[in-house]
Amino acid sequence: MYDFFTTINAAANNFWLAGDTDKVIWKAIAFFVMAYIIIKFGRKPFMDLLSNRMDRIRTELDDVAQQRLAAEAERDRIKAALADSDSEAARLIAEARSAADQLAVDTSARAENDIAQLRERAAADLVTTQGQAQADLGAELSRLSLGAAERVVESTLDDAAQQRLIDDYISQVGSQN
Amino acid sequence: MSDTRITAYADAAFSIARAEGTLAEVEDELFRLARVLESSDELRATLTDPHLPASRRQQIIEDLLQDRATTTTVAIVSMIVGAGRAADLPKIADDLVQRSATESGTAVAEVRSAVALTEEQIARLTEALSARTERSITVKNIVDPTVMGGIVTQIGDSVLDGSVRSRLNQLRDAF
Repeated sequence: MYDFFTTINAAANNFWLAGDTDKVIWKAIAFFVMAYIIIKFGRKPFMDLLSNRMDRIRTELDDVAQQRLAAEAERDRIKAALADSDSEAARLIAEARSAADQLAVDTSARAENDIAQLRERAAADLVTTQGQAQADLGAELSRLSLGAAERVVESTLDDAAQQRLIDDYISQVGSQN
Repeated sequence: MSDTRITAYADAAFSIARAEGTLAEVEDELFRLARVLESSDELRATLTDPHLPASRRQQIIEDLLQDRATTTTVAIVSMIVGAGRAADLPKIADDLVQRSATESGTAVAEVRSAVALTEEQIARLTEALSARTERSITVKNIVDPTVMGGIVTQIGDSVLDGSVRSRLNQLRDAF
């Protein structure tokens, strides 16, 4: 290598060849041989390396493009979903309002119905209670009257009355033969 | 007590009374005592009290029946009370009465009245009931104040109710 630069330097000094022409020739030959060998054996792996690198970069670019497309699609989907959710929320709110209104109407109607039934039942209970009270009063009057009658009967059932009742009974049994 | 045991006691009483020749008296006295036992909770509780010795219960009933019943009746009742069967005395008495009536071919009429019937009334009633039922009737008079007045007669399942109580009850039902 030193000799090669020496040759160049010699050219720079207006000398085409160095002092030793054979050396220059051999070095040139060696250079071309080395160049040939490098080109012969090194070009393909180098080109393969470059090709692989280009393929990898291309694949990565494709992946990135795919990811970008996917991200854009996801963004669009989310936008659509947000729009849908807004409309769904609006629909649900409308339904809830409608259901609440209906519930209020139903509850009011049911309450009125219950009140009417309670009134009817209370009226029926009142009639029943009045009837029962009248019956109880009648029974109580009957009991008191009969109690009084029993006491009157007991006081009037002296021995003569007892004998008369017994004789009447015996006569009645005898007369039914 | 089982019916078998009641029947056995009634059979024994019947045999003893018939052997002694006092069947009618024993039957009548036992029947009256049974009705007294049914109406007196205190006497029934005393005669069935398991805490009283049997001899003490027997002494009580013997003192109670002394001079009021035949010695045969007293002996039979004392035996039943001593055996701890005083609670079954009414059923035994009823069984004895039925057995005696069956033996003599008569039917028993339980006649409840507020006051005791006279002999003449019993005779007339016996005659009337016999004519009505076409059977020979033996009248057993039971004094029952709840009758108030008149008579209630029961012959088997048949009841002839001519009591003041029943008329008051009919009046009550009519209200």
